[in-house]
Amino acid sequence: MNRAALTIALALIASVSAEKVQTPVPIGVALAQTSNTALLGQEQVIGARLAEKHINAHGGIGGTPIKLVFQDAAGDENSAINAFQNLITKSNVVGIVGPTLSQQAFAADPIAERARVPVLGPSNTAKGIPQIGDYVARVSAPIAVVAPNAVRQAMKLDPKIKKAAVLYAQNDAFSVSETEAFQKAAKDQGISVATVQKFQTTDTDFTTQVTAVLNADVDLVILSGLAADGGNLVKQLRQLGYKGLIVGGNGLNTSNIFPVCQKYCDGVIIAQAYSPAQPSAANQLFVKEYRAQYKKDPPQFAAQAYAGVQVMTDALRVLDRKKKLAQWDLDELRAALNKQILAGKYNTPLGELRFDKEGEILQKDFYVAQIRMKDAKTGTFVFLK
Amino acid sequence: MELSQLIQNLMNGLAIGSVYAIFALGYTLVFSILGIINFAHGAVFTLGAYFTYTLVVGQFENNGLLKGINLFPDGSPFSGNPWLFALATLIGAAVAGLVAVLIERLAFRPMRSRGGDPLLALVSSLGVALVVVNLIQLLVGAEIYNFPSDAYGQVRPALSFHIGEKVVIIRTVQLIIFAVSLVMLALLGYVIGRTRVGKALRAVAENPGTASLLGISVDRFILITFFLSGFLGGLAGTLVGTAFGVAGPYFGVSYGLKGLAVIVLGGLGSIPGAVVGGLVIGLAEAFVPAQYSAYKDAVAFALLFVILLVRPQGLLGRAQIQKV
Amino acid sequence: MGDFLGQYGFLIVTMVQAGLLGLSLYFPLQAGQLSLASPGFYAVGGYVAAILLTNPAFAGWRDALGNGMFPLTWLAAALICGVLGLIVGVPALRLRGIYLALATIAFIEILRVISLNLSITGGAIGIFGIPQAFGFQDRWQYIWLFGPLLILTLLFARQLERSRVGRAFRAIREDELAADAMGVPPTHYKVLAFVIGAVLAGLVGAMSAPFLNTWNAKQGTFDASIAILAFVLIGGSRNIWGPVVGGALLTAVPELLRFLADWRLVINGLVLVVASLYLPQGIVGALGGVRRPPPPRRPPSVPVVVEAPGGGS
Repeated sequence: MNRAALTIALALIASVSAEKVQTPVPIGVALAQTSNTALLGQEQVIGARLAEKHINAHGGIGGTPIKLVFQDAAGDENSAINAFQNLITKSNVVGIVGPTLSQQAFAADPIAERARVPVLGPSNTAKGIPQIGDYVARVSAPIAVVAPNAVRQAMKLDPKIKKAAVLYAQNDAFSVSETEAFQKAAKDQGISVATVQKFQTTDTDFTTQVTAVLNADVDLVILSGLAADGGNLVKQLRQLGYKGLIVGGNGLNTSNIFPVCQKYCDGVIIAQAYSPAQPSAANQLFVKEYRAQYKKDPPQFAAQAYAGVQVMTDALRVLDRKKKLAQWDLDELRAALNKQILAGKYNTPLGELRFDKEGEILQKDFYVAQIRMKDAKTGTFVFLK
Repeated sequence: MELSQLIQNLMNGLAIGSVYAIFALGYTLVFSILGIINFAHGAVFTLGAYFTYTLVVGQFENNGLLKGINLFPDGSPFSGNPWLFALATLIGAAVAGLVAVLIERLAFRPMRSRGGDPLLALVSSLGVALVVVNLIQLLVGAEIYNFPSDAYGQVRPALSFHIGEKVVIIRTVQLIIFAVSLVMLALLGYVIGRTRVGKALRAVAENPGTASLLGISVDRFILITFFLSGFLGGLAGTLVGTAFGVAGPYFGVSYGLKGLAVIVLGGLGSIPGAVVGGLVIGLAEAFVPAQYSAYKDAVAFALLFVILLVRPQGLLGRAQIQKV
Repeated sequence: MGDFLGQYGFLIVTMVQAGLLGLSLYFPLQAGQLSLASPGFYAVGGYVAAILLTNPAFAGWRDALGNGMFPLTWLAAALICGVLGLIVGVPALRLRGIYLALATIAFIEILRVISLNLSITGGAIGIFGIPQAFGFQDRWQYIWLFGPLLILTLLFARQLERSRVGRAFRAIREDELAADAMGVPPTHYKVLAFVIGAVLAGLVGAMSAPFLNTWNAKQGTFDASIAILAFVLIGGSRNIWGPVVGGALLTAVPELLRFLADWRLVINGLVLVVASLYLPQGIVGALGGVRRPPPPRRPPSVPVVVEAPGGGS
């Protein structure tokens, strides 16, 4: 009896120290599937699932399929940490794509760092994310690069712009860093910022902010927020009589704003880290598959999550060629995967991307688009050159 | 402050406040009769909007179990005419009322009969809210849904008035919300103040034991209370949805905090107090100067804190009776 | 074992942490005060620790004190939350029942908005890269902080209940006017109970900031208030073990339900409903076995009034 127990104990210890990589290859996905962050999370889930389907339909990794393991990271720090712990310890994933929010990344990524599991942030844009550790990288570009382009495009459309109003969601990490870039870009273009108005992503009524904008008599509104609040702001700006151009930040780069501002979305200029119009073969394939299933253009969050899974798989493929994945020790593979992710170059729907040595994304293409509404519910992002 | 600015702020305040008020009407009704705070009210409010949406549009997006469903391939029988929209709204509200009745039967009545800590009703209703919100997400996803832009017919999106040189504007839909909340308040006042049902409800509120001795079926009137509360909540959900879109399953729950502030400020148990409280908080938010707009919520709650200290029974509540 | 701690270690610590937060609400409740301010003090405690541990202004202190910095953050958080508790408590505790609860919620909301707007608290992004306490390698090791704090708090609570102060709390809870007449100054003791809760929540916050590695305005919210209230009520509000058991279980349930995938939170909601229906005295109350008579029904803290406009009343 004792002997049996001892054998089992030894076997357990052995299994801990030299866990093999499972097949199909498990890749962890920890995104906001519940909570009020789920609006973003559910798009990311779609993107990740499409990537899985596509990859496995094309032979997986050298014949071995991948398997995405989903754990709900909701919108809070504790859930994200628990999701990470589950993926790392219970599901023995080789790497993790997630979490949705930057604040969650600051809490959960150190867990992966400590366990030496590579993490790709699909939508964490705050300053300092890649610096959390060696094992942390992201496929979501910080917005500072896109903002100036969008303002420049606005100037092109209306060279007479002199005064701008800036609005941003102060409880959203992403919008807060974006608005800094926007304000700087406006000043660089010689536009004076007449008023800065803050709001919360949970707000719905923006009458106060809109009246302040109207009183400031501006000819450009620059707006950083998310779909529901951003869409409502656009709608209320227009309904209350604002006539000038509107530049929307990257958070508005989703067709989710169409049902909110409906026909009033028309003409809004959007700063994009992803455009369905991106011409690469990888993207056009992704757009085709997405359209076939969902009858509309893929949103940025879906594309970024897709890219996250793809980057991880592409890197695994390189390793698989060196030695079949099933023969690797899990710990060894995780470490090698991390190195490989940072070393590679990827053709994703986001365009060609690489990483610097800290894990910051080096994305080549950014876009500025203008919304064109076909009817009250459907619209497109028209690529502005 | 210029006169036009003052009037604009007043109108902004009424616009913001009437949303709070219409949310709070059904919320305060349950409190006034039963003395419990029903956290599920926000969820019922959300449901009302979703039910109406189902009738008027009937199409769901890509997430959730009902994805791709289109109930009315030939167009909804409730679309294209503001009166039909109003009818759909009333049906949606009535279904929301039935859900509230179900909630009372499943989550509140058993508790009353067991005599638990009245505070437990908070937890129980919180659980109900969690169930409803997550069920909505399971069924139709977290996306934003919206009503057709011509729900109220071809009305101008905003009305403007000239005050001297300056123009003052307000969105039409917010005027509608304001008007409907006043009408609801008046109707509710009439039902409770002048009808037999209202008399019975008041008796139940004052003392359920005595009421049942007088031959009033307490449980039945509690059900009526919940139905009315759910109906008002569902109606409010649709109206607010037409103004801002139905922003996902948490749409109504996010008004819960302000709603609580509104009914306490107005005076717990006072139905007109809910409207007054809503408008006061709306006005307080509207009069926060633009450069301090980031502190808007803090200002509203600081005001609340101070008012509570000065007048703990709320604006329209009765003085607290000291137990001796 | 390593795997078990890897997977559930963090959860176990959060269960203890939830129990402690439950207790921070339990102290004022012992004196009959329904205060929901705990998340506010928790947030402040966390910010104090996060700022002391990351802000360049305190780099000199950190170099000088090394690991001694962590106890210092606890002390600072306890002190600041105690004083803040006093400042808020003295006026707020004139209110009763749901009015007090709402005033404390207002307090939380004000703090949240302020922390979103200050640069020292890092705005929306918050403060990140908070160093791990005592160089802990794994999150489960925080049990060495929260565990002893829980034991000390429980011992303290037991001593308190047996002391003159505890009797005064109970007297006020049962009948404030009678207590006053018998020479127990209610305000004094109510503020004391409130401040004890504030200090405890602040301490938990200070320990939690390194535990989470990051701190932001989402840590102290209205939702958290209600969650903590649920810990106490589901656990049992008449026994010190109630908040501990309630906090631990309600924290564990959504995690243990992960296998239900999309249905997880629906079932979690049902658990709350069923628990409040079938355990009216809380879990600990039900386990108490001996059928104690139910507590006297709390007189409604506010008169129940229906006023009809124009209908007179």
